Amino acid sequence: MNRFLIIALALALCGAQPGRAAPAKIEVGKPFPHLVLPAADDGRPLSVAAFRGKKLILQVFASW
Amino acid sequence: MPGWHDATRELQAEGKLQMLGIVQEQHPERARLFMQWKGMDWPLMVDSLDLLGVSVVPVTVAIDEHGIVREKGLRIGRAAEFAREFVAREYLPPRDVPVPPTGVADISRLKAQAIRSGSAENWRRYAEALTLWGGETRLGEAIQAWQSALAVAPDHAASHFGLGVTFRRRYDSADGRPEDFRNAVAAWSRALALDPNNYIWRRRIQQYGPRLDKPYPFYDWVDQARREIRGRGETPQALQVEPAGAELAPPGEQFEAPGEASGGPDPDERIQQDPARFVRVATTVVPPVLAPGRAARVHVVFRPQTASDAHWNNEAGELTLWVPVPAGWQVDRQRLTVANPAQRTSDETRRVEFELRAPEDAAPGPVTLPAYALYYVCEGVRGACLYRRQNIPLRVTVGE
Repeated sequence: MNRFLIIALALALCGAQPGRAAPAKIEVGKPFPHLVLPAADDGRPLSVAAFRGKKLILQVFASW
Repeated sequence: MPGWHDATRELQAEGKLQMLGIVQEQHPERARLFMQWKGMDWPLMVDSLDLLGVSVVPVTVAIDEHGIVREKGLRIGRAAEFAREFVAREYLPPRDVPVPPTGVADISRLKAQAIRSGSAENWRRYAEALTLWGGETRLGEAIQAWQSALAVAPDHAASHFGLGVTFRRRYDSADGRPEDFRNAVAAWSRALALDPNNYIWRRRIQQYGPRLDKPYPFYDWVDQARREIRGRGETPQALQVEPAGAELAPPGEQFEAPGEASGGPDPDERIQQDPARFVRVATTVVPPVLAPGRAARVHVVFRPQTASDAHWNNEAGELTLWVPVPAGWQVDRQRLTVANPAQRTSDETRRVEFELRAPEDAAPGPVTLPAYALYYVCEGVRGACLYRRQNIPLRVTVGE
């Protein structure tokens, strides 16, 4: 068994691998986590990165 | 949220500041209605899977022109002052921050990676992409992808939450199965059991749960919002699913049980049975496991079966659900009815909800309440119109 296969197996078994599907984290001093999400009005792909060049106030909210 | 909008209106109009929203909600069009009501005309992104990984809302974040987070957890108290300072301040461009891609992941490629590697991570990436970008017709595949991820990593709480969101989305779609809602509640409950501090997951269950567990009515603002929007001469944003039942119910500290006690309208089972040929019934208990002395909300959904071309006979009586109560248990309503619409026949899905409370000394384990429904249905366009009974055993589990 080569070592890449061993690493892949170890990652598969531990279940908590690095990468996108781990929850993003908002940290001061770091780039805002990269996420492409559907726009609420027409479902087009939208991301915070698309607003680069502007100062942003972002609100994460729910209407309940 | 409207506070920040009002406090930054001028800076927005001058093009110095951009407001942005990310909504953590099963039904994002409700957030759009809210924003329309409050005049918040900003771009809004939908994060129904909570990929951002926040466990509370609202969260307000200031992001500079280079994409760097400068403040997090901003307080509304000094919104205007903060916004002016933030806009006036110059931030130096950081080194080595690449501009990330803004495109959407290739679903076919993610599927191939998931199958090839078999890893939970790759199954999750595929499930996320299908749920976000695959459209309503691929929600069944998305459910399977989440289940594949959970088969490898059964205690991954966010995957259970994602599975629940996807089940509920399919339930609300044209392809919805009656049991999808129950499966959604089971998956959300598993996620919350694994991470009981996630406020968003807790709220998702409370949205459909009993009054005793509610912090406030969730969507009681919708009527007022529509009235005021119409008053301005605008058309309110349409909602895919109208808030109803538990979503509107105010919190209750007292459990009110009616005094009614009899065998109900058909105590001796004299009405002929419908073995789900004309009407299919699905029940969902929220939460699925209730502690002694606690309440659960029971959702019962009736769908006329298209295979038998069944429809409601609205010229006859109304649909009635009768809930017999075991000794020591309480329900807030024993007899639930659905009024007939004005037209002679119809085939809409009918829903009723009631609450149930376990006795303080309830023994752990399953309990079945032998509920039944009576309804008037017609078969086919020229077929017979019938009065039928369907037994609906309501299974509730008492746990710690």
